[in-house]
Amino acid sequence: MRILLMGHPNVGKSAVFNRLTGARVTESNYPGTTVDYTKGRVRIEGDSFEIIDVPGAFSLEPKDKAEEVAVKMLEENKEAVAICVIDASKMERGLYLALQVIEKGYPVVIALNMWDVAQDKNIEIDVEELEDILTVPVVPVTAISGEGIRELALRIKEASLVKIEKIIEKAGN
Amino acid sequence: MLDLEQRWELIDKIAKRTIKFGKYRHTLKDAIAEITVKPLTGIPIAIAVLYGFWAFFVAFAGFFTDGFLVKLFDMHWLPWLQEVFPAGKESWLYYIFVGDPLADNCFEAFGMLTSGLFVVIGVVLPAIVAFYLVLIVLEDSGYLPRLAVLIDTVLHKIGLHGYAIVPSILSLGCNVPACTACRILETKKQRFIMRTILAIFIPCGAQLGIMLKVIPETVGWVILYLLAGYFILGFILSRIVPGESPELLLDIPSYQRPTFSNVGRKLWVRTSSFFTTAIPFVLLGVIIINVLHLTGVIDWLATGLGPLLSGWFGVPKETVGALIVAFLRKDLAVAQLSAIEMTKYQMVTSVVLVSIYFPCIATFVMLLKEGGVKGFLGSLAALVATVFLYGGLLHLIWILLGVA
Amino acid sequence: MKNKFASVYFSIFGLIVLSLGIAELIIGIAGRSFTWGILEISGEFSLWKGIILFFVGFFYLSSVKNLNEIHQLAKNVMASIMLWIIAGMQIFAMITESIPGGEEEGWINTWEGFLSAYSPPYIPALILLPFSLVTVYYVYAREK
Ligand SMILES: Nc1nc2c(ncn2[C@@H]2O[C@H](COP(=O)(O)OP(=O)(O)OP(=O)(O)O)[C@@H](O)[C@H]2O)c(=O)[nH]1
Ligand SMILES: [Mg+2]
Repeated sequence: MRILLMGHPNVGKSAVFNRLTGARVTESNYPGTTVDYTKGRVRIEGDSFEIIDVPGAFSLEPKDKAEEVAVKMLEENKEAVAICVIDASKMERGLYLALQVIEKGYPVVIALNMWDVAQDKNIEIDVEELEDILTVPVVPVTAISGEGIRELALRIKEASLVKIEKIIEKAGN
Repeated sequence: MLDLEQRWELIDKIAKRTIKFGKYRHTLKDAIAEITVKPLTGIPIAIAVLYGFWAFFVAFAGFFTDGFLVKLFDMHWLPWLQEVFPAGKESWLYYIFVGDPLADNCFEAFGMLTSGLFVVIGVVLPAIVAFYLVLIVLEDSGYLPRLAVLIDTVLHKIGLHGYAIVPSILSLGCNVPACTACRILETKKQRFIMRTILAIFIPCGAQLGIMLKVIPETVGWVILYLLAGYFILGFILSRIVPGESPELLLDIPSYQRPTFSNVGRKLWVRTSSFFTTAIPFVLLGVIIINVLHLTGVIDWLATGLGPLLSGWFGVPKETVGALIVAFLRKDLAVAQLSAIEMTKYQMVTSVVLVSIYFPCIATFVMLLKEGGVKGFLGSLAALVATVFLYGGLLHLIWILLGVA
Repeated sequence: MKNKFASVYFSIFGLIVLSLGIAELIIGIAGRSFTWGILEISGEFSLWKGIILFFVGFFYLSSVKNLNEIHQLAKNVMASIMLWIIAGMQIFAMITESIPGGEEEGWINTWEGFLSAYSPPYIPALILLPFSLVTVYYVYAREK
């Protein structure tokens, strides 16, 4: 099984990647740090999986060369599981891409990264409710300190395909 | 598939049910974040930050290079090597590895084990460590994109959006990753312009370090001249290259305290990649240049190109050796210039020439890889024109000032 | 009350910084040097240090009205940070110069040489440094 890290620029994909794999991909506090993909391996409960750090993209309609790589990675790995990394302090924006990936028919796990920042800003997110609506695993993560990374890894196998109609239905009531 | 509106509608619904925004006061950090991007306050702040950058660089590099390494190389390493080197002083082996037997400092000896090692470890290593350290702090704190917003107004005039400054600043560390970073620009035109002007005009950390050592009083003017060229060429290219340069709405991240572990890790990764890529090239450069000297190729070239060099650019014909080395490593080339006798003004011109004339081979390969053959040839054409016109212009300036 | 004091303090301090900045700027352009007591204006980058000090003074002065307001305070804090950049780099340079021995000498500086690197005269930013720490106190007191 392959795992792809998808998300907006600067939400901490490379940080999550480094924590999961022990690699040394560059993490910087500006959008557009990663412009090419990097492969790594992660061990979860004795199994080893290939995981790919992908350049940030705002949507699946690429605007620049880095975003093209992201979209290409998604298209080349039809069987992959996607970890959608979302900046918890700007969750709505991140959900856009996550929904697009779900619609494309990929099993998804959502990592609500920058959980520490969201808490500092007094933003409360009802993770259980979110999980219930989206019917995919949602894990709060703080990648720089490593909090939540273990749970994220353990829950990757729970990722499953969801129909967008089901999400609409659940969100509706 | 949903369309854009439907998707946002769905997100709205989800957000309403899952997110609660608590009370949030505007903090001091937010207020500071605001004033660093407003031009009136932001530009003075940027001047202070860049001053700090430079002052740190000078003090840090000076501490290691002038404080310890020059002594180590000139007073211990060089005499020891001159004494124990097994081959005779007249042999070509001695010439290649140790260089001039009469030299009393590692700048002038120009052997692989003397000047080669001295340039890499004695001068360039401390400089790039200092440079990377500040650069990484700028990257991790979140100041870099703010600088981009500030410079946006200027860059707009040359058809690039402000974000283009990010690759430019990265290229102060090394031009190679900077070429790759240009991928975040949207159109082919923008990427082409950016790659070309940064490869030609932005000196890398290694080169800055050695310039600081060789021409400490005039390095400021050299940088100013290069920067002016960066904008002029950008302006011209944006007029003549077909294509669009659309706007980019830049997302500015909030300030963060850089973490020790991340700064340390990045510093280590970049410094070790310097070791593996730069050292072989510098050592190889010394060997090649010494072999060319021994075989008389340099003399032959110097005689052939002499009229051009002294007539058009106003620099001594001996600089031809440095220009050849510049193709491999700029830092080594500047070091070589320092051993040639010339006036201060000729020195400035030749350092400028070394900077703008062919990017180092690693950058060259990147230009080809990122731009394709067509883009590469375009960059090359811009480069040749720049060297002749902009390099010649400096000579003209000296003539007009009456110092050439 | 505290507010009033801070405003008066930073008005005066700002004026002093501003004038020293202008002085450094002019001396920098002229390429001269100048010493008065423990104050010294000379050396490389006087021009740039002068420009920055000028703006530091300017920021202080423009922050004094309604200093308690967060945006005004931000200007004040930023002015102090700019001052600390100049002074901090000066101190860093002193440290790096004090440790290695001189040319033709040993690896490490002599004790006298070491101390003399820290003796006056100092550049304006260094002399102004302690007085700018009031900003820290003010921010701290305000949070409480
Ligand atoms: N406070 C906080 N900062 C984080 C967290 N995760 C990452 N960061 C920081 O956010 C910045 C961006 O992280 P990256 O991992 O480079 O982001 P990215 O998603 O790979 O970005 P691109 O490569 O540009 O798409 C870095 O400065 C990280 O240190 C987190 O959980 N909390
Ligand atoms: Mg990344």
